[in-house]
Amino acid sequence: MGPLITNGIISNGWDFVIAVVIGIAFGFILEASGFSSSRNIVGVFYGYNFVVLRVFFTAVVVAMVGLLYFDYFGWIELSKIFILPTYLTPMIFGGVVMGLGFIIGGFCPGTSFTAVAIGKLDAVFFAAGLYLGIAGFTLVYPYIGGFFNSGYIGNVTLTDVTGISAAWFAAGFTIVALAAFWGTMFIEKRVRKNIKEYKF
Amino acid sequence: MNRNYIFLTILMLLMAIGTFFLTRSNELKQIEPQELLREIIQPTRYVTTDQVAKMIIQKDPSLELIDVRSAEEFNDFALPNSINIPLDSLLNSTSLLNFGIPGTKVVFVANDDIQSDQAWVLTKRLGYNSTYVMTGGLNCWIETIIQPQEPLENESNTAFETYAFRKGAQLYFTGAKAEPQEASKIKVDVVRKKKTAAAAGGC
Repeated sequence: MGPLITNGIISNGWDFVIAVVIGIAFGFILEASGFSSSRNIVGVFYGYNFVVLRVFFTAVVVAMVGLLYFDYFGWIELSKIFILPTYLTPMIFGGVVMGLGFIIGGFCPGTSFTAVAIGKLDAVFFAAGLYLGIAGFTLVYPYIGGFFNSGYIGNVTLTDVTGISAAWFAAGFTIVALAAFWGTMFIEKRVRKNIKEYKF
Repeated sequence: MNRNYIFLTILMLLMAIGTFFLTRSNELKQIEPQELLREIIQPTRYVTTDQVAKMIIQKDPSLELIDVRSAEEFNDFALPNSINIPLDSLLNSTSLLNFGIPGTKVVFVANDDIQSDQAWVLTKRLGYNSTYVMTGGLNCWIETIIQPQEPLENESNTAFETYAFRKGAQLYFTGAKAEPQEASKIKVDVVRKKKTAAAAGGC
């Protein structure tokens, strides 16, 4: 059946409507998970709050396993799904930069906007900085464009690169995620004992 | 220890392990036989050589000519802008990318229309729409477009119109010299009205 637009079940014009609906739902879930508080988010780096890890790992694992089942039942054709092209080294570098920004700023781009929506001052500064960063990037792009476009592998999945079937990755990821859920629960308990004041 | 956590952990583990058993059968999906029968008796699945010629001349962007003959035959002679997909490699995953593009009309071409009919049935069974067969194939193309026969004098007007079109198409595809048209031989007398005197003033 799916992807709905690719298979012509609904027309192209709907993608913006769907994007808005999914965007609102995403923002709601982020806010409901407590992601509009930067203390909540950076807690993962200090060991007192692993909600970020839990929410994102849950999302990844459920989507991953769910898509495999959907593909099997014929509800969505995984072969027709758009796969983001991979630029290996720039993506690793970008991930490090993003992680640093995450620790320093206390938000990731999406959560900063949910925090702006509920009126957090630090998020307003973070969002402003985000746009400054975008502007800065466009200015230096001519100098770093070569690196930005290097390491191109194409629109590949892990299965394409390694030849290992998707089920192994799904099972592996799930086991890692579940282990992380249980492991972080104990870390949290131990770290929180030593924190005197803990408020969001 | 929350009991729900244990339950959810076990559920997620079972679901993940279950993905190992999701082996998809290698059979390609097919349309229902009834649907195939309904489509196969439609005369609209055929296009004539004239229609194809017209589309090529008009540079119709929706036309996608697929030549299902072997590569050697294709190299000897082929229609302009046609793509060679020999019948035995029609169902390759790369070949199948040519079908089902929205807004295109796939026309199968072969020496006759037997091979192209086979290609039509194969792709139709896979559920690809807007595929057509060129009636008579390239043999018919040579007979009608490249060497059109002049209709007999007692034939209908449409036969003459078709002939005129085919002669034009012949020029387009072969670059043959234009024969002087019958009509150009008729001498045309141009009768001009004499200018009347300028309207005289009334007042």
